[in-house]
Amino acid sequence: MLLLDIVSGVLLIFGAFFGLSGAVGLFKFPDFFTRVHAASVTDSIAAILVLSGLILQTNLDLNTAKLLFILIFLLITSPTASHVLAKSARHGGLLSMPEKEQKKEIES
Amino acid sequence: MHLLKWAILLFGFWLLLSGYYQPLLLTFGLISVAIVVVVIKRMDNVDQQEKSVSTGYRVLRYFLWLISEIIRSSLQVTKLIWGPSKSVSPSLSKINVSKVPHNSRVLYVNSITLTPGTLSVDLEGDELTVHALQKKSIERLKKGDMENKLKIIWGENE
Repeated sequence: MLLLDIVSGVLLIFGAFFGLSGAVGLFKFPDFFTRVHAASVTDSIAAILVLSGLILQTNLDLNTAKLLFILIFLLITSPTASHVLAKSARHGGLLSMPEKEQKKEIES
Repeated sequence: MHLLKWAILLFGFWLLLSGYYQPLLLTFGLISVAIVVVVIKRMDNVDQQEKSVSTGYRVLRYFLWLISEIIRSSLQVTKLIWGPSKSVSPSLSKINVSKVPHNSRVLYVNSITLTPGTLSVDLEGDELTVHALQKKSIERLKKGDMENKLKIIWGENE
């Protein structure tokens, strides 16, 4: 059991690290679209690592199944949410960085 | 046939979520599954395309590959986050998805968004607008690894 505890601890620590990276990126990146990328680090790999770390802590019972369900649903819903954010931003007329530069060049 | 698959899947899902095995609660579960299956049946009549659950080996294979892809690109993005902020070169590009089978387009677009570093913004007709943190991720997408994987795994069905 000790080995499992160690593996799950490592997974949890790495998951926490990636979650933190996502948060730092969210503040550090320059514009809206790049920030969504930073948030997707938290959505994808941090969620996978933390949840698999937690799964290793269960005794293969109902809780394992529930954690797996959470993982599956997160993997389906979080990209959908990012996509909807990006799409509505774009349809609302927000330009991404390369487009802004192009526009500046045309104006000047 | 696909309704039966849905029924079994939903009932299994219900059982695992509830964890109670008394006859009364099992009946409630069966009733709710029956209601959902009836709704699925009616939906099929409306949109004329049966959405079956894909199970088995192929999904698992794609899923494992996708996770390896996620890990790879997450490391890239994490490097960008902790590195100097000038290394970010966001770019927007249109990708032609006419070769991806219709059934798996949602999966394709979702996979693009799920891997950090690439974000699908809009899908109009066969043109998919993708925003990427680095130009090389766009080139990688255009090379079509993910597309080919999907075609190999789901293409036979069409």
